[in-house]
Amino acid sequence: MISRRSVSLAVAAVGLFYATAPALAQQKTITVWFGKGFYKSEDDALLEAIKKFEAKTGIKVELSQYAIQDMIPKTVAALDSGTVPDVAYADTYDVQVQGKWAYEGKLEDLGDVLTPMKSAFAPNTLETALLYNDVAKKKAYYGFPLKQQSMHVQIWQDLLEQAGFKQSDIPTKWEDYWSFWCDKVQSASRKATGQRIYAVGQPMGVESTDSFQSFYTFMDAYDVKLVDDEGKLLVDDPKVRENLTKALKDYTDTYIRGCTPPSSTTWKDPDNNVAFHNKTIAMTHNFTISIAAKWLDDSNNAALTPEQRALGKKNYDEVIITASFPNKPDGTPIKYRSDVKTGLMFTSAKNKAEGKEFIKFLLQEENLRPYIEGALGRWFPVTTASQQSPFWQADRHRKAVYNQFTGGTTPFDFTKNWKFTILNNENVWAKAMNRVVSEKVPVDKAVDELIARIKQVAG
Amino acid sequence: MAITISGDHALPGPPLSARLTTPQVWGIVLLAPYILVFLAFVVYPVGYGLWLARHPASYVALWHDPIFARAAVNTLIFLLIGINVKMLIALFLSGFFAQQRTWIKWLSVLFILPWAVPSIPTILSVRFMFNPEWGVINQLIFKFTGEDGPNWLNDPAVALTMAIGVHIWKSLPFWTLILMTGRLAISHDLYEAAEVDGASWSQKFRFITWPSMQTLYVTCTLLSMIWTLGDFNSVYLLTGGGPADLTHVLATLGIRYLRLDQLSLAMASIVCALPFVLPLVYFMMKRLSR
Repeated sequence: MISRRSVSLAVAAVGLFYATAPALAQQKTITVWFGKGFYKSEDDALLEAIKKFEAKTGIKVELSQYAIQDMIPKTVAALDSGTVPDVAYADTYDVQVQGKWAYEGKLEDLGDVLTPMKSAFAPNTLETALLYNDVAKKKAYYGFPLKQQSMHVQIWQDLLEQAGFKQSDIPTKWEDYWSFWCDKVQSASRKATGQRIYAVGQPMGVESTDSFQSFYTFMDAYDVKLVDDEGKLLVDDPKVRENLTKALKDYTDTYIRGCTPPSSTTWKDPDNNVAFHNKTIAMTHNFTISIAAKWLDDSNNAALTPEQRALGKKNYDEVIITASFPNKPDGTPIKYRSDVKTGLMFTSAKNKAEGKEFIKFLLQEENLRPYIEGALGRWFPVTTASQQSPFWQADRHRKAVYNQFTGGTTPFDFTKNWKFTILNNENVWAKAMNRVVSEKVPVDKAVDELIARIKQVAG
Repeated sequence: MAITISGDHALPGPPLSARLTTPQVWGIVLLAPYILVFLAFVVYPVGYGLWLARHPASYVALWHDPIFARAAVNTLIFLLIGINVKMLIALFLSGFFAQQRTWIKWLSVLFILPWAVPSIPTILSVRFMFNPEWGVINQLIFKFTGEDGPNWLNDPAVALTMAIGVHIWKSLPFWTLILMTGRLAISHDLYEAAEVDGASWSQKFRFITWPSMQTLYVTCTLLSMIWTLGDFNSVYLLTGGGPADLTHVLATLGIRYLRLDQLSLAMASIVCALPFVLPLVYFMMKRLSR
């Protein structure tokens, strides 16, 4: 028999449920996808910003983080099924898909969020998100700039010294520079250590953005201009073909001469970092200073032993060098490309108002700066105020990044012709490299194929 | 006596619920969850995939993509070499493991491990072993010769060969086990009679083992072809389709198109395998129903 007390309790429970139900129903939840950071401090800073946002707005954030190379396939599947996140960020969106998705009308216009804060952004940052939508027949901000990156060279000073050289011995002339690493450093360091050390880490994987970002630097060394400022192709110019051939030859020669690890043809974005950390390579060019910053992260990582933390500090402060590329073959310095990383909101997002609120919150100086600086110099800020932060003068690695950006950079071709995002996504550049090194196709034939593909896609 | 009433004056029959017996109702009730799950997880995804792959333009684009042609050729190589080598080795190994000796029984436990252990750790272990820089194989080569070892997984031909090798190594124990059960079913009297007649080892195989095993062998080969066509792990985990997408097979090509934001091509590339799979399934079912 049911007692009166039980009935009273049941009634009270039901009453309590109905009393709190409206409050529970009112709490909005947004879904946010973010590419996984390289180190804990980067992700921690994002989580902290999210916590602050939840506390301030009462909007709950469901965060999912994925590996770099998984972000685009997952987003493509989400777009198809109509279950897109409300806000999404990936390191690869801007270079590989953003222009295309904007053109196809898949991205939400974020003008109402970004226009009021336009003055906060540094030159050549916000403009890269101003893209054409062929459905709406207009240009608008289809993405929000978060951070930017550029090309750097990272060198193990101790490996260089073991091979009997100093930093001042590194040539500044283009040909001498590569010959120095390939012909002198590699053989000398192998002899000195008895280890299979490769002089250079030359990314060539079709699934890596490093490969085409590095190749662009080689193209810039030879003044290869694929498009004009209006996005019109210039590849029919014989001079472009000639210089492109020189750039591809130089890039692939490093592999053919055995100066980069054999596996570099299949490297994904983190792999040249891993090879460097394992001291398999003496130097690598990388589109951030994430390599040096990893050791700084180790030096502050409480989960590591005191010895490991000390090693991290020593490597960051004394052993790893952040340097620049040599001068171009004509003797002038290279003007580096910079690449503004953007987050997106899709037109099919379910909670646009709350998503925009999150974007607005994240872009506030007090939230964005800790997130950028949490990446320990891997990313350079897009806002003028953050660029002047003392953080960028704190050590030699960050100073090098600061000087490189403030010295002037140039944008990638996809900002002038969105179809280059398709070429980047296909990674026609790495394919051309692999045609030469894996399939033994002559360089000029690989260049002809590359030009044909560029014309086919972006013509 | 049967009475048939037709035309406008037909009497309405009893409702369906009244016409069903209790066991039939129970049958429907018990079958319903399975049917729902089957519809949700088999019919819907397959149907949706076919729907996504319905555009003829996708097939034209595939036809013009050199990577698709390469993947199709790789798939054929994978099938021809992978299945035949695997089934032949399994056929002979089944004879070895069918022997009633204690040490062979213990060895068979070890032999079955590659098949029993999940794909990800086993194939990734192979991948790490053959890494050209820090893999144990090339480290040993460098230690003893001072030379860099081969680019195991970075040469397209070598990488595909290794993927086939991994596929064989991984699935060989299973087929050996199946064929071994077939061998054990052969009456021992036949072998004894053949021995009395002075038959050699090869004659016993030719006149007793093979005729008795032929049906099972062909059925296993058909089934293995269906599974091999859908083998995603061996290639994807070992080479990722690289270098430069040159070792993709039809089973892994879809993921590449997904990365390239070409969902319809991803689905079309999978649908392209159907002309291979469906006849195999048909023959397979036909054989099993005999």
